[in-house]
Amino acid sequence: MNKILLPILILLSTFQAFAQKNFTISGTIKDNATGEQLIGASVRIKELPQIGTATNSYGFYSLTAPKGDYTLQISYIGYQTIEKSISLTKNLDINVAISSKSELQEVVISGNKPNNDNVAAPQMGVEKLNMSQINNVPVLLGEKDILKTISLLPGVKSAGEGNTGFYVRGGGSDQNLILLDEATVYNASHLFGFFSTFNSDAIKDVSLYKGGMPAEYGGRLSSVLDVKMNDGNNKDYTVQGGLGLISSRIKVEGPIVEDKGSFMISARRTYIDLFLKASSDSTVKGSSLYFYDLNAKANYHFDDKNAVYLSGYFGKDVLGLKNTFGTNWGNSTGTLRFNHIFNNRLFSNTSIVYSNYNYAIQDFESDDNFKATSQITDVNFKEDLQYSISNNHTLKFGLNVLHHTIAPGNITTSSTSSFNDKSIEERYGYENAAYLSDDWRVTSKLTFLYGVRLSGMFLLGPGTFSTYDEAGNTITSKTYTSGQLVKDYFNLEPRFSGSYLLNEESSIKASYNRNTQNIHLLSNSTSATPTDLYVMSSNNIKPEIADQVSTGYFRNFSDNIFEFSAEIYYKWLQNQIDYKDGAQLIANQDVESQLTYGSGRAYGLELFLKKKYGRFNGWIGYTLSRTELKFADINNGNYYPARQDRTHDLSVVGIYQLTKRWNLSATYIYGTGNAVTYPTGKYEIGGLTTFSYSERNGYRLPPTQRMDIGATLEGKQHKKYHSSWTFGIYNVFAYRNPYIITFRDSKTVPNTTEAVETSIFATRIPSVTWNFKF
Amino acid sequence: MRTIKLYISFFIILGIITSCTKVIDLKLGNVSGQLVIEGNVTQVPGPQYIKLSRNVAFTSTNTYPAVSGATVSVTDSLGNIYPFTESPAGTYSIPSMAGKTGNTYTMTVVTGGKTYTAKSTMPGFVHLDSITSRASFFNTSKNLRQVTVHFQDPAGIPNQYRFVLYVNSVQVKSVFAFNDDFSDGRYSNIDLIENDIDIHPGDTAKVEMQCIDKPIYTYWYTLMQQDPNGPGGGVTPSNPPTNITPTTLGYFSAHTTQTETFIVK
Repeated sequence: MNKILLPILILLSTFQAFAQKNFTISGTIKDNATGEQLIGASVRIKELPQIGTATNSYGFYSLTAPKGDYTLQISYIGYQTIEKSISLTKNLDINVAISSKSELQEVVISGNKPNNDNVAAPQMGVEKLNMSQINNVPVLLGEKDILKTISLLPGVKSAGEGNTGFYVRGGGSDQNLILLDEATVYNASHLFGFFSTFNSDAIKDVSLYKGGMPAEYGGRLSSVLDVKMNDGNNKDYTVQGGLGLISSRIKVEGPIVEDKGSFMISARRTYIDLFLKASSDSTVKGSSLYFYDLNAKANYHFDDKNAVYLSGYFGKDVLGLKNTFGTNWGNSTGTLRFNHIFNNRLFSNTSIVYSNYNYAIQDFESDDNFKATSQITDVNFKEDLQYSISNNHTLKFGLNVLHHTIAPGNITTSSTSSFNDKSIEERYGYENAAYLSDDWRVTSKLTFLYGVRLSGMFLLGPGTFSTYDEAGNTITSKTYTSGQLVKDYFNLEPRFSGSYLLNEESSIKASYNRNTQNIHLLSNSTSATPTDLYVMSSNNIKPEIADQVSTGYFRNFSDNIFEFSAEIYYKWLQNQIDYKDGAQLIANQDVESQLTYGSGRAYGLELFLKKKYGRFNGWIGYTLSRTELKFADINNGNYYPARQDRTHDLSVVGIYQLTKRWNLSATYIYGTGNAVTYPTGKYEIGGLTTFSYSERNGYRLPPTQRMDIGATLEGKQHKKYHSSWTFGIYNVFAYRNPYIITFRDSKTVPNTTEAVETSIFATRIPSVTWNFKF
Repeated sequence: MRTIKLYISFFIILGIITSCTKVIDLKLGNVSGQLVIEGNVTQVPGPQYIKLSRNVAFTSTNTYPAVSGATVSVTDSLGNIYPFTESPAGTYSIPSMAGKTGNTYTMTVVTGGKTYTAKSTMPGFVHLDSITSRASFFNTSKNLRQVTVHFQDPAGIPNQYRFVLYVNSVQVKSVFAFNDDFSDGRYSNIDLIENDIDIHPGDTAKVEMQCIDKPIYTYWYTLMQQDPNGPGGGVTPSNPPTNITPTTLGYFSAHTTQTETFIVK
């Protein structure tokens, strides 16, 4: 610990020396009506255009400037811009509450000039989503969904229709770090991926990092999806909710102590199983299928310098087949955070985070009665500090101690069952990290964001740990005592991004980053299943490593109303994991013997044009990319396209405020089909027609395309309450997008075979939701 | 494990939501003419068969050219050589041979200037106790039946099984391969869940139970996983790992066999 802190402190004191003629302004930016802290609000000095900053996750900002009289300008998308005259002769504390433009006023184009943060900031490969945009994007059955909305961004690909899984720049869906108030969400999907675990009512802010990951994030190769929950209104009690076709939701928020503390509770329950009742099949009729989830958060501000936050999520999916079979799975997370502002330059946050994912499968029939469970539990201690040294250096540094407990499988059976009790040894380990990064404004045009993250993986006993040869046979097997170190891995992860401003409206940026991953998802199914199994890096499994370089051109038009960017990236992947033929992954003590290791490469071009302001807004995103994998025992050791390789990917999102009460929206997507393996011949074995294959993923499903439309009708203004109707049609043109293509003996022409395409959601699916707020 | 039910439930639900299928034309590659060897040796005294053929293009009819003129033999671990003779074309057989459990058999096939060999060990015989039928989980309105097999798994040793189901003498187009990873030593009741042939009361069902060795289990289990309705939910397909070297399509299996027939109630 001291070894890390000492050099940091020395570094800090040198920077201090530079900064003495300057004064610092700091404070918190909040929403005037609700008291919610605003994340990423821009704070700048009008007279010194090169001096500016953005609020952090807790609405805190700090900026330093030479002595003088200035105008402080605070702006945030969808809010009135505020200007404040200040006389900077000493350090100042300035807390500002800004007002949201009401939805009715939003029609008017803002008189204030939008800022050019997207061009000027060194960070690249980041997408920040505004909740009002997410709320207007039409989705399946009217369930607003942040994961489905981010899959409309360039570089992000949906795992398929009816699936919230996503691939970022060619990475697998387990290579995304999904955080909800800093807690890892292991399975972000409900109902096999038809819906995500994020209830948008409870969400305040969503950021997705596709490249150039800041050093404070680590542990996954491809992306970071950082989702932050609402804090709750600290001025007034409000209740809002919605009644939809397949689900209903409600949110209650209000002050605990006015202006000091607030709470928010948001709940959602689906009743998709009502559809099952309509079935003529009595087994289906008697089955259950639903999910529910609950988000809750409370905070209390002791004074301007100290605040505590407690937030949690609990969700569960239940699927039951009449009296025979049942399964349930869910995530739960809890985050306790303490903010302390040491002085107007040094901000600290301490977090204790809990995260759990578990599933259970139960068979109730007497002849094979069993219950199988599996879970992963994390306890994480995080210390993050932000230090604004001067007007051109902001340091972030911190520590992270994350403990994993993985219970891979536990089977209990009754005496009449066909099955035995079985318990797979639990696994324990630490993923620890320390990081340091600096946001350095070199000149008014050149900015660097650079840093380093040191990650350490420690796999600990007790248990018996084996090593396996390539054929999967055990070579050695050794038993360790509790807490004894089995294997450790250290990785140094450099992170760098830089931007050079060509003029006020355009810039070029470049980044390089290395990411490593020590926790790996094993699942050889092509559909999103709850039977996710996680393993840590071990004697057999090495940390996955990704090195990514990217560069881009950023250009704004028409006073920053239009944003355009073009980014290219290249990624090298090491120690990727696949499965041997016939792999048995569930409740297998020797699961690591079923794995095979390889490498990969991904590269692409992303074009993005976005209009953020005005009656008509939206974006067009296009990605041209390639993702290939190489495993010695697959495809004769040659590179082959990954399943998620998609050459072309286009998404168009348009939102139009037609009148004061009507808001219309539409999305259109087009993508090259998934890479799939088709037979190149057939033969007969065991009396069955069997297909032969020559190339892995050598074919493509036909391209997919779909257009969805939505409309929101705001109710008439009432003093006490507000209501709105949301209408949507999913797949307006009823395109038949192929879900899977299978091969079989023909049912009509004897002695021949045929290819059969299965589509889901191949018809228009209308939806309606009634929303209320009072 | 019955995770298979999970996937079945999933597909049923998908079906309810909205799914539709159609037969399509696809341009597929044609890698045909590859040698296919299917060799079986059982404990039942009588003829044993090894079949040699070639694969054909997907668009061809399901008729597979026989490979004639090969030299085919099987040797056992005691050094006995059993020569197989060809009749009819592509089918090589020995009129009377009975495999012994615990013995390892080596198949040798010489054709096209290449020598193919494969080893397989015949596992211990496990008795198929009974076959029953009961109402199918799904399509309850159609009053369909499904078949369950019952047997005592021997404790303390790994066992692998393959079942072949015939309904009114027509083979069901599904692979049924199981092991005792989760059921060692238990009295086992396994449902042969399939959606190829509708089974009604009064139908004649015939079940062949095979006790197979581990590599052959992996072979069949891989094929079973690739079935879109199978336990893998449709994993990326590939040719199943053969025990024949050099690699070609097919397998050589020394296994025990027992066949029972019953009238579905």
